[in-house]
Amino acid sequence: MRTKQMRLVVTFYTTAGAIAAEQLCRKAGLEGRLISVPRCLTSDCGIAWSAPPDTRAVLEQRFREAGIEAAGFHELLV
Amino acid sequence: MRENNWFREHGLILLTGVVVGIAALVLTTSGNPRNMGFCIACFERDIAGALGLHSADKVQYIRPEIIGIVLGALLAAVGAKEFRAKAGSSPACRFILGMFVMIGALVFLGCPLRMVIRLGGGDLTAVAGLVGFVAGILVGIVFLRKGFSLGRAYPVRQGEGLMLPGLMVVLLVLLLVFPGKLRFSEAGPGSMHAFWAISLAAGLIVGALAQRSRLCMAGGIRDAVMLRDFRLLSGFLAIWVTVTIGNLILGNYNLCAVSQPIAHSQYLWSALGMALAGWGSVLLGGCPLRQLILAGEGNGDSAVTVLGMIIGAAVSHNFGLAGAADSVVDGVYKVGGIGTAGMAAVIFGFVVLLVITVTHLPGKEHAS
Repeated sequence: MRTKQMRLVVTFYTTAGAIAAEQLCRKAGLEGRLISVPRCLTSDCGIAWSAPPDTRAVLEQRFREAGIEAAGFHELLV
Repeated sequence: MRENNWFREHGLILLTGVVVGIAALVLTTSGNPRNMGFCIACFERDIAGALGLHSADKVQYIRPEIIGIVLGALLAAVGAKEFRAKAGSSPACRFILGMFVMIGALVFLGCPLRMVIRLGGGDLTAVAGLVGFVAGILVGIVFLRKGFSLGRAYPVRQGEGLMLPGLMVVLLVLLLVFPGKLRFSEAGPGSMHAFWAISLAAGLIVGALAQRSRLCMAGGIRDAVMLRDFRLLSGFLAIWVTVTIGNLILGNYNLCAVSQPIAHSQYLWSALGMALAGWGSVLLGGCPLRQLILAGEGNGDSAVTVLGMIIGAAVSHNFGLAGAADSVVDGVYKVGGIGTAGMAAVIFGFVVLLVITVTHLPGKEHAS
């Protein structure tokens, strides 16, 4: 059982958005992974991107440039 | 601390699974057909029959479980401030997908939830359905990875999100106040049901818990495969364990691959039917139960999907596509299953799903 860590959780309107985010981050060498959306959040697609909290500005910019529409950016323990 | 985290993450979904399992056992004991305490596909098919949308006289009844699930989800969503009216994510495609998910499920004779309940009764014919369902989900995941999307939903007026719950209230009023306007089976599965208040209460409880826990069979397998996250899937394992233990205690457990209640032993078509349902459910973002829950939360697209499933049930019976259960006639065991029309419908369903999938991949026409 792993311990919880503070993470930046990005939610999306569609599963395609979450997968596009994963592909973009992999290509750019940005740390993170897909997770199921935590219970305390809601989203249309059920899949979110979990990343270190200090990557928020980079991710917002990269997603905007790539046309990936994020539903929300949340910092929480996951 | 770590144990607390585990219970916080898994407690609600496991509790939901156990409660759904107990509710299924109570409903079966109270009059529902065996291994059919809950079945979203069968119950929507019965509702279609009660409204006269098909004339299969053995499967006609307004199932209060469906009404309860939608209204339970609505109440839980409102209570948790999660009710969000939204719509606009390819509703026509969702209607068609809902139809074919239903056609596939009725070929197998059950939705993913009943598949688990059948397994909990020892029905080994359901293993073929499980294999097909997982295969269908894997196909769907391949296309999700390629960027398949029906597009996002947008906020709409509250009234849009209340349409399906409103329809459910109308169905309840029809059942309780104007039953003479409806069709009711006098024999067969449609004639077997628990007292309406028990069914409604079970539906309300399951709907509320499923809304809070996000219980979804298709989502559970999708998360297990894509994310190595077994939380949602653990809910269905809890249903299976609970129903198995309950049936063993009640003496209803019959581990066998023949002569199971409302099931057939045409394994290939059971698998293909559930493959169609699994693939369609991944494209829709949730299994038939989840569509009811989402509709209760205000999702108009899921409401359209549910209506598509009800029409799919009517089409299944009007065109002879649905599976027939194995039976014993004059002391001779007769294998049921589907006929040529049902087989053609399943194959046509795969073609339709492929067309919808391919036309919603990146690089194709963009909605504006």
